[in-house]
Amino acid sequence: MVYVLSTNITAPLGFTTEQNYRAVRSGVSALKRYDGLWGLPEPFAASLFNEEQKASLALDGYTCFESLAIHSVREALSHTQLDVTSPEIVLILSTTKGNIGQSPSEAAQRIATAIGLTTTPIVVCNACVSGLSAQLLADHLLSAGLYDYAVVVGAEVQSKFIVSGFQALKAVSDEPCRPFDIERNGLNPGEAAATIIFKKEDTSNSLHWYLVNGAICNDAFHISSPSPQANGLTAAIETVMEEQDKSELASISVHGTGTLYNDQMESKAIQRAGLSDIPLSALKGYYGHTMGAAGVLETILTMRATDDGIVLPSKGFTELGVSGKVNISSECQQTNKISFMKLLSGFGGNNVAVLYSRDMDCPSLISAPRCKSIREDKRFSIIKTHTIRISSDQGKSLTDIYKQQIGNYPKFYKMDILTRLAFVASELLIKDMEETQVPRLICAPLLQRVQEEPAIILFNHSSSLVADRQFLKTISDAENFFPSPSVFVYTLPNITAGEIAIRHHLCGETSFCILPEKDETLMQQILEVTLNATNAKSIISGWIDAESETTFECELSLIEKE
Amino acid sequence: MEQLINDLKLQIKEALHLEELSLEDFDENTPLFGEDGIGLDSIDILEIVVLMEKEYGIRMSKPKEGKAIFQSIKTIAEYVQENRKK
Repeated sequence: MVYVLSTNITAPLGFTTEQNYRAVRSGVSALKRYDGLWGLPEPFAASLFNEEQKASLALDGYTCFESLAIHSVREALSHTQLDVTSPEIVLILSTTKGNIGQSPSEAAQRIATAIGLTTTPIVVCNACVSGLSAQLLADHLLSAGLYDYAVVVGAEVQSKFIVSGFQALKAVSDEPCRPFDIERNGLNPGEAAATIIFKKEDTSNSLHWYLVNGAICNDAFHISSPSPQANGLTAAIETVMEEQDKSELASISVHGTGTLYNDQMESKAIQRAGLSDIPLSALKGYYGHTMGAAGVLETILTMRATDDGIVLPSKGFTELGVSGKVNISSECQQTNKISFMKLLSGFGGNNVAVLYSRDMDCPSLISAPRCKSIREDKRFSIIKTHTIRISSDQGKSLTDIYKQQIGNYPKFYKMDILTRLAFVASELLIKDMEETQVPRLICAPLLQRVQEEPAIILFNHSSSLVADRQFLKTISDAENFFPSPSVFVYTLPNITAGEIAIRHHLCGETSFCILPEKDETLMQQILEVTLNATNAKSIISGWIDAESETTFECELSLIEKE
Repeated sequence: MEQLINDLKLQIKEALHLEELSLEDFDENTPLFGEDGIGLDSIDILEIVVLMEKEYGIRMSKPKEGKAIFQSIKTIAEYVQENRKK
């Protein structure tokens, strides 16, 4: 199991965890209305750093995004005695858009170098659930003994790119958001960085918080609309709570974006999972949706509030406006419980639930984690049972391959280049496998499907740069400013995995990781620790890079436990 | 009106990348949503909202309005005729 060694939140409400917690505790919100910012024709409310704050964070030679992440990691490290040059420390960066126009992997390398870290940084780019995906990856890597420490930093800087995209999706409010409220009308973009440093084991007995377990489940429904039955989130919560006593939960720190569909879906999942009585805490009324940072920031605040014996009030909430039975309040509540669950859901159909507990001082409460450190003799090694390689060297464009060997899936033409490549390769891979090897369990119970169906973890170096350029074209000319909602959604690289999940109704984990280069050893390690630490029995995985219809390369495999 | 209906068919086919749909496959009354029709989804609605502004200068701020207006090419054409700014 992994322990929380140190944390930091760097946000418009303060540059340390304590400053942020005190601000939230006294009810302060960083949300303000912006009209005409970045030349955007529509106003929006957001939580943004002011000029003075930006100047004090700025580091020479680094972008705003990198400076912010570096500040957060350095401040978290300052509370520890860690030797950052140790090969036993891994950096995991969680972001949705990082530096627009550049690979987030390059940013991660510059952040790692600035701090003095020597190992290869991993970027988790799973849209809005990135912050929890990154924590779970840290847990898996440390539990398997590959590193002793993981620095998980989530960061996001807002821009015309992100805000216009969400506005095109009609998801942004020009007033402070109102999670779960009947009057809610959208989310507010937010800027922040937040860091959790995890330690493999607690030898000193001085650490309190540990990550009990977590699950990532896909809706396999739609790339930008959540499952109306809340299938993915329900499965994630049920997987996490399978052997736990719900009465020990102090709170559920919900995603609560303030959009119509997210909050409605979340309420359904919580009711379906039998957690209607547990107090909910929705924190986006203070910070807006800090995207890549949200999962880390909200975990830290909930941890800090639980230490203080309270459930933070859901700012902006007045009257319940969702159909699922949930217990949410705008008032502060007392609690003497010491476990909480954090939830996130996002584009690409992802849903994540993570359970935290603090039981060193009260060991009798929530039961010990199911996935403790995996002993050497219990570890599975993995094998590739099927592999497919396609590249433009074979002389066919992606559309040629689709027309000649696949067909009958009109959505293909809506996909960006990277998603087309992932889609075509996965179709050929699945065709290549015998029918019996892809479980068709659509009618089986959700939890069984999560276990039996393959997870999907894809890697590349360039993230979704081609789609980014395409979206930028729709917003760069003020006279011809028509941001395309569908192009925007495809600028999230994890949509690749989401489309495969939708096509084959796969409800297991879907993730996208970005690495500095095609590092087979690191990829193998990530797949191995995931298969060892989760319920998944197999993973569809590979390296996908596409520059155009006629310049691409992909190797996709089915990975199984040996 | 007939010209407008033809323009809309072409514009929607292009904006939504409906490559496999031939213009003969649907007429102005074919439902755009649901399994009996063309089967457009929620992002497609938003993409038509962009098209309305780009081609006809109509700004639709409430996405909920869209669903009623975007029933078929005919309902869209009627809406455009009444509200177009260009």
